[in-house]
Amino acid sequence: MGIDGIFREGFITTSLDTVINWTRTGSLWPVTFGLACCAIEMMHTGMARYDLDRFGIIFRASPRHSDLMVVAGTVTNKMAPAMRRVYDQLAEPRWVVSMGSCANGGGYYHYSYSVVRGCDRIVPVDVYVPGCPPTAEALLYGLLQLQNKIKRTSTIARR
Amino acid sequence: MSAKLERLSQILRIVLGGRLRSLTKDRGEIMIEVGAEDYLAAARTLRDHAELRFEQLMDICGVDYSAYGNVACEPGRRFASVLHMLSIEHNWRLRLKVFCPDDNFPAVDSVCDLWPSANWQEREAFDLYGIMYSGHTDLRRILTDYGFVGHPLRKDFPVSGYTEMRYDAETERVIYQPVTIEPRENTPRVVREAGYGDTGHV
Repeated sequence: MGIDGIFREGFITTSLDTVINWTRTGSLWPVTFGLACCAIEMMHTGMARYDLDRFGIIFRASPRHSDLMVVAGTVTNKMAPAMRRVYDQLAEPRWVVSMGSCANGGGYYHYSYSVVRGCDRIVPVDVYVPGCPPTAEALLYGLLQLQNKIKRTSTIARR
Repeated sequence: MSAKLERLSQILRIVLGGRLRSLTKDRGEIMIEVGAEDYLAAARTLRDHAELRFEQLMDICGVDYSAYGNVACEPGRRFASVLHMLSIEHNWRLRLKVFCPDDNFPAVDSVCDLWPSANWQEREAFDLYGIMYSGHTDLRRILTDYGFVGHPLRKDFPVSGYTEMRYDAETERVIYQPVTIEPRENTPRVVREAGYGDTGHV
């Protein structure tokens, strides 16, 4: 019993934190929460041209499968309780990307009587993607920023 | 004015007779007004009379005249319900307007029994203008939130509303609270003179 064979095969050392974060960034499964025109750009990001699958990001139809919610579009008062419920159903650990002006702060409908002035009034948001609507590249960039954010977190190490 | 519209307006005058409050011809369209007490009977006549046969109801919309023009509206002339009708048999259209007699409790008869498509249209007008349609079987709000207060398209409704929404971490649910932002007017209200922008070749 020794490590002679291992030296011949080759090996790497790392920390458990890094491995866990690597697995998490490599398999973000967002629940589709398209609310308005931003959802169209979200679809573009998911389809063949920009291909979120390259980054291990696959859209799921159920919050129970997912660990990420992309809030794509205008959050109305009527939709807000439903959105919070979907967020509560996401499996831990979970993240939220706010996509577009309306989700970021109400946007065009900031002064409206029926629109929530930013989805961060309802759910905690990790990454805000600006634009009206943001391009598919912008959303992709936001998701990569989210991956960077996840990589920085310490999962099991005590502070 | 085409001969066809002329014929339609003659038929309307004959058939509706005294129930017809006014008949306006403008831009190749005909609009008639009836009183609230004659409204249901007139609508039934418009649908069933062989010379008219408006078998299809295209739209119902509410109107709030309280800020129309630069003059205050007369009592009983604030809220109107407007029906847009189409006769496929005769290939003509008509707009029917009825004013709600009471400004504080605007109510007119429902035409759901005549045209089933009126159901949701009347719910929409009720939701946005607060017009009560008596005889409607299911007069609920259709667009705004379930606990919404007020009628958003009334002219005295503030653009930002009375309430806004946020998540309350203590009760763990989404709650309403009084609105926290100041209302904002970006574009001043301008009432143009009559005929503004007319091209002269309608």
